[in-house]
Amino acid sequence: MKLRYILVVIFSGILFASFAQKQITKSGTIEIFSETPVFTIEAVNNKVASILNVENGDIVVSTLVRSFKFHEALVEEHFNENYMESEKFPKAIFKGRISNFESVDFTKDGNYDVIIEGKLTLHGTTNYIKEKAVIMIKDQLISASSEFDVSLEAYKIKIENAYKDSIKDDILLKIHFEYKPYSKK
Amino acid sequence: MVPKTIRNIMNPIDLNWLKKVRMKKIESRFILALLMITMLPWGVFAQDDLMDILGEEVGQEIEYTAATFKSSHIINGHSIEQMKKQQLDFRINHRFGQLNSGAYELWGLDNAVINFCLDYGITDWMMVGLRRGTYQKTYDGSLKFKILRQSKGKRVMPVSLSYYVDMSINTLKITDSNIEDVFSNRVAYAHQLLIARKFNDKISLQISPTFIHRNLVDANQENDVYAIGIGGRYKFIRRVAFTFEYFYSSNTSGNDELYNSLSVGFDVETGGHVFQLFVTNSKPMIEKGFIAETSGNWADGGIYFGFNISRVFALGKTK
Repeated sequence: MKLRYILVVIFSGILFASFAQKQITKSGTIEIFSETPVFTIEAVNNKVASILNVENGDIVVSTLVRSFKFHEALVEEHFNENYMESEKFPKAIFKGRISNFESVDFTKDGNYDVIIEGKLTLHGTTNYIKEKAVIMIKDQLISASSEFDVSLEAYKIKIENAYKDSIKDDILLKIHFEYKPYSKK
Repeated sequence: MVPKTIRNIMNPIDLNWLKKVRMKKIESRFILALLMITMLPWGVFAQDDLMDILGEEVGQEIEYTAATFKSSHIINGHSIEQMKKQQLDFRINHRFGQLNSGAYELWGLDNAVINFCLDYGITDWMMVGLRRGTYQKTYDGSLKFKILRQSKGKRVMPVSLSYYVDMSINTLKITDSNIEDVFSNRVAYAHQLLIARKFNDKISLQISPTFIHRNLVDANQENDVYAIGIGGRYKFIRRVAFTFEYFYSSNTSGNDELYNSLSVGFDVETGGHVFQLFVTNSKPMIEKGFIAETSGNWADGGIYFGFNISRVFALGKTK
């Protein structure tokens, strides 16, 4: 009697884990924008990795800060060396979940407005964020997009007074991931 | 009414019942604990697990070292840095007159020489350069190739290595009737291997073995000059670095008029410009000049104040 309970619990745990459907991308994009009358900064990173667990709405994102590519090499250098200090803090990481995960039907085509919340780590500083995003499902393929501002101050990225006019404190992030089903190698 | 449990306990005959209750309680607690343990990793730590999977999937990446030096020159000599594809570096290099030239020349400020440079990245690994300088009214063209890039992560490479080659043409009027005025007499070549390592975000060092060949030299001079350069920086605060550079040349020993080139200064970067401010005993700003023909002597104040301005332009279409 006891044994049966235990076995049921253990097996259900294992089954639950192995059937947990994970979606992965290694080529997601994040674009960053800062526009002031003095200077426009744009960069693209298309080496962003992410996993979305459609069983429970968990989502993680990771990328190397150095993967952001700028049109001007000098700006890229400033970005890495002076602001993001990417040698010291090589990665940008997000760990979180879709908080209204129940409202997404992953089996049905359509666009779903969702709220993503979790911890964003940039420049060695972690902040809790809660932002709007859209989950798009088409032919069983899942993609996700979001746009939101990140405050430099909140991540202890200091802009010298001389450049305050050239760089906005709120940097716009445009995020787009196209997931594929993950299968263990 | 007496509550059921108490009634049961009070009943001395049916003690088995009590045992059953205890059993069930223990069993359910046990199962609850087990449930929690099995569910725990999938619930609370699930995001970390996903992170681990992501780490395994992405694997280690090659992390190339960037910004070993602030600009394409350490001071006089080339650094390991070069323009990326479709980036143009416009440099204006100045050397004022000798510091020991006295008040009449305002300690050298009246006698500036200048050198204009254009360096352009054809690809990320090949840069082409054109220069015109006051010293011997020289035009020169150069190529710089990246061979190795310092990296860590998936591929570990301790140093960066580049090859630099320069051909310069002296365009002074030839007044000496003994010298035949042919093109080949005006030409000199410089070959350099640039080996650099960025030790950390503050300290970078570079060693530059150099070979210089001048087609025409004074009778007491060798055509070929071998030299070894050492240069470095110490970036003591954000945007400002202390720099130094020294070239030991094969033609300076046993020669009273030629000296090894030694320069010390600062790199200051602003948003779009790099300023290099320094003192050096070399007036020429091309390799064959400052390595093989440096005439200033630090010991008696034969040094020049110099500054370079570098402005980088991004050409080509935005991606």
